[in-house]
Amino acid sequence: MRQHLIELVLFSTYAELRAERARSYLGLIWWVLEPAMQMGAYWLLFGLILKTGGPDYLPMLLIGLTVWQWMKSCVTHGGYAIWTNLPLIRQVHLPPLVFPIVQMLADSIKFLYIFVLLLVILWCMGYPPNTAYFALPLVFLAVFLAAAGAGFVVSAVVPLLPDLRFVIEQVLTVVMFLSGVVFSLKSVPSPMREVMELNPIAVLMEATRGILLRGEWPNVVGLTKVSVISIGACLIGMLVVARLAPRYPKLAT
Amino acid sequence: MRDVLIELENVGIAFDAQRRVGGARFWALDDVSVSLRRGERLGVIGRNGAGKSTLLRVVAGILQPDRGRVRRAPVSCQLLSLALGFTPHLSGRDNAILSGLMLGLRRRDIVARLPAIREFCELGDFFEQPIAAYSSGMVMRLAFSVAIQVEPDVLLIDEVLAVGDAEFQEKSGNALRERMGEGHTVVLVSHDEQQIATLCDRVLWIEHGKSVLEGDRDAVFEAYHRDLHLSGAPA
Repeated sequence: MRQHLIELVLFSTYAELRAERARSYLGLIWWVLEPAMQMGAYWLLFGLILKTGGPDYLPMLLIGLTVWQWMKSCVTHGGYAIWTNLPLIRQVHLPPLVFPIVQMLADSIKFLYIFVLLLVILWCMGYPPNTAYFALPLVFLAVFLAAAGAGFVVSAVVPLLPDLRFVIEQVLTVVMFLSGVVFSLKSVPSPMREVMELNPIAVLMEATRGILLRGEWPNVVGLTKVSVISIGACLIGMLVVARLAPRYPKLAT
Repeated sequence: MRDVLIELENVGIAFDAQRRVGGARFWALDDVSVSLRRGERLGVIGRNGAGKSTLLRVVAGILQPDRGRVRRAPVSCQLLSLALGFTPHLSGRDNAILSGLMLGLRRRDIVARLPAIREFCELGDFFEQPIAAYSSGMVMRLAFSVAIQVEPDVLLIDEVLAVGDAEFQEKSGNALRERMGEGHTVVLVSHDEQQIATLCDRVLWIEHGKSVLEGDRDAVFEAYHRDLHLSGAPA
C-alpha cells in the first residue's frame, strides 16, 4: 500500500511537470521568464526610481524572489490541490494528502532548475561558490518545511471554504513585503527591524542570502527554531486533513 | 455460508444541501443494510435518486457512513471509474499509467499490461500522442481499456458496461461480462434490468435511500415490478 502511494506520488509529480511544460507554447522558458519579469518590476521601482535598494540590490532581489516564488507556489498550488481534485476524491479512495504533496514536489523540482540558473547568474555577477554552500540543503529543507506547513493547513480548509483563496492571495502579498523579500530588512529602522526579524521567513531569506552573497554560515539556532515551528505546522495541517478527510468526498468543487 | 466480505448495517449518508453554515442536510442513504459474500454478484436496482451510486461509494470506502456501521474484511474494493486522473496534455501511454495507479495497480503491473491496453483500445500510433488530440470516443476507448485491467477483490460497477461506437460497445461489453463471469465478487448498479438479470445472482432493491428487499434475483424483480405496476411508474 505504502509503496503504491509512493509510486502514485512520484508518477503524478512527473505528470504534473510534463503537463505544465506542454500547456504553454514556451514551455520550460516560462519557469524562468515569469520570475525574471517580476524581478524587473521590483528592480525598476526600488532600485531605479526610489533608489532604496542599497548595494547588492539586484542579487539580493534575485535570491529573495526565487526562494519566495518557491514558497508561494507550494502554499497556493499545494494549498488548493485537495479542492481542485475533489472530482477525483469523489471517485476513488486515496489519502487526500497525496494531492498537496504532488504539487509541492513539482514546485520544488521547478525551483531546483531555476536555482541552478540563479547560481550561474550570481557567479557571473562576481559572487563565486564558497564553502557555506554545504549548508544550502539544510536551509532548503527548512524553507520546504515552512512552505509545506502553511500549504497543508491551507489545503485542509480551502475545500470547505473556497472563498478563502481570495484572502490567501492578499495575505501572501503582505507576508512577502513583511519578510524582506524585495528589500533588505537592514534598511528598516529600529525597533521595527528587530520585530520584523522575528518572522521565520525573514530568517530563511537572510540565511540564503548570507550563504550565496557573503559566504556566511547560517544561524543554526534561528534555523532550528524555524524548522520546529514549521514541523509543528506540518503536523497540524496533516491532522486537520485527516480529520476532515471523510467530508471531502461529499463536497462540490 | 460463504464468508462475508462487506456488511452494511443501517447505513445512512447525509450531504449538505447548500454550502453555508447551518444549511439543510439531506439523507442520500437513509437506512440500508446489505451483506456481500465472496464470489457473489450483487445487482442494485431502484428508481433515479434512490441512492444506488451513493451506496456503491460507501462499499468502495470513499464515503464514510454518518450513521450505521460498515464492516469489511481486508479486501480491495474498486469502483470501475473511467478516465480517472486523465490529463489532456499527457500521452495515452502516460495517462494509462497514471489512471492505473489511481485505480490501485502497481506501476510494474500497469507497465506489463501496456501492450494489452494498447491492443484493446485500438488507437494505433495515437497511443503515444497527447489525449488532447483525441475525440471523446477515443478517450473512452482508452479509459475503458485501462479500467478493465484492474482486478480488485471486489469490483464495483456503476452503469459503465459499454462505451464508444457500436463495435467497441460490443467489445467492451463482452470484456466486462467475461470479467464478471470469472468468479469475481461484483456489485453492479444499472438501469438495465436485462443486464442485471443475466449478470447477477442476488439483487438489492433500494428506494428513497432505504433497502426495500434483498435476496434471490427473481423474487426481488417480481416484487419490484409489482410495486412499479401499483405506483404506475415506468419500468
